[in-house]
Amino acid sequence: MESSDLQRRYIDFTSTLFREGFLDSQYTQLQQLQDESNPEFVTEVVTLFFQDSEKLQDDLTRTLDQEVVDFKKVAAHVHQLQGSSARFSTPPMRSLCIGAQRVKNVCMAFRICCEEMNREGCLGCLQQVRQEYFLVESKLETVFRLEQQIVAAGGSIPLMW
Amino acid sequence: MEEGEGSNGGVFEGGLEVRVLVVDDSPVERRMVEGLLKKSGAMFQVIAVDSGKRAMEVLGLTDDKAEHPTVDHQKVDIILTDYSMPEMTGYDLLKTVKEQSCRKPIPVIIMSSENEPQRISRCRAIGAEDFILKPLQTNDVLRLRSYARPTELSPRTGTKRKMTLELMAENSGSDRRPRLAGLAVS
Repeated sequence: MESSDLQRRYIDFTSTLFREGFLDSQYTQLQQLQDESNPEFVTEVVTLFFQDSEKLQDDLTRTLDQEVVDFKKVAAHVHQLQGSSARFSTPPMRSLCIGAQRVKNVCMAFRICCEEMNREGCLGCLQQVRQEYFLVESKLETVFRLEQQIVAAGGSIPLMW
Repeated sequence: MEEGEGSNGGVFEGGLEVRVLVVDDSPVERRMVEGLLKKSGAMFQVIAVDSGKRAMEVLGLTDDKAEHPTVDHQKVDIILTDYSMPEMTGYDLLKTVKEQSCRKPIPVIIMSSENEPQRISRCRAIGAEDFILKPLQTNDVLRLRSYARPTELSPRTGTKRKMTLELMAENSGSDRRPRLAGLAVS
């Protein structure tokens, strides 16, 4: 496929993600930080994001699995998860990038469950968090695949504004 | 410990290098701040650590310096620290740094995702030079230079590159392969 066709597909797909709130200006910032000295910057940061998030989710699972749940610890993990997602949202609208707004909403509910020491509620929130991350990750896989195809076809990756 | 290309020796022509100690338990934040600093065009040398405890080691503020001989207590021009970190918060680190009696205390800038006036005034009250709301933007990074007390330029050989040191806790970090199919993390 020609690079121009791929670029068109890329623009269409990422435009949809911007419209649906999966990507926003933070993703553009990531792209702008990528250059010849940092050619894999976007992939690196996004991969770090998902690795870190998975680790936090695993920590949450472990903590919630304990016979006596340390809800303070759970709340701390949720705070970290929320903070990590906040990297990819823009104040004051908190429009999301990488599903961050949706994750943020779940995290808020999560924190309420922690305050109420509601283990079942926390487990439900954790499940929602996992689902949101899975959804966002699959969308980004498509974005990165298109970027690879564009570069392989000799084209350049359009910068999304 | 990971080092960027061009090990201890970048040539910074016509300017003074500014050593920034970035302290954040989030690997994403550390990488983003590093990327912002490198892209800003200013001459930043970034040392990134994942905890207040590690920051203390870099600054030579631990009691047991001898246990960490791998860290050569490097001079730091600015400390850029997250506020909310487990065990030792950014506030704790700020307090410790400012309590050191020295002629030229290191400027400390606090980063936080929470825009809480009480938090901000609390930090400023004990000497924080600035308080930046996360996520950091390019213009936030440019502000850092105004707080720097750059070290004098020392002639060095090597390629013109900025160095990054990522000092991880010994038992942290993952050697897991990247999640996204077909992609590799450099």
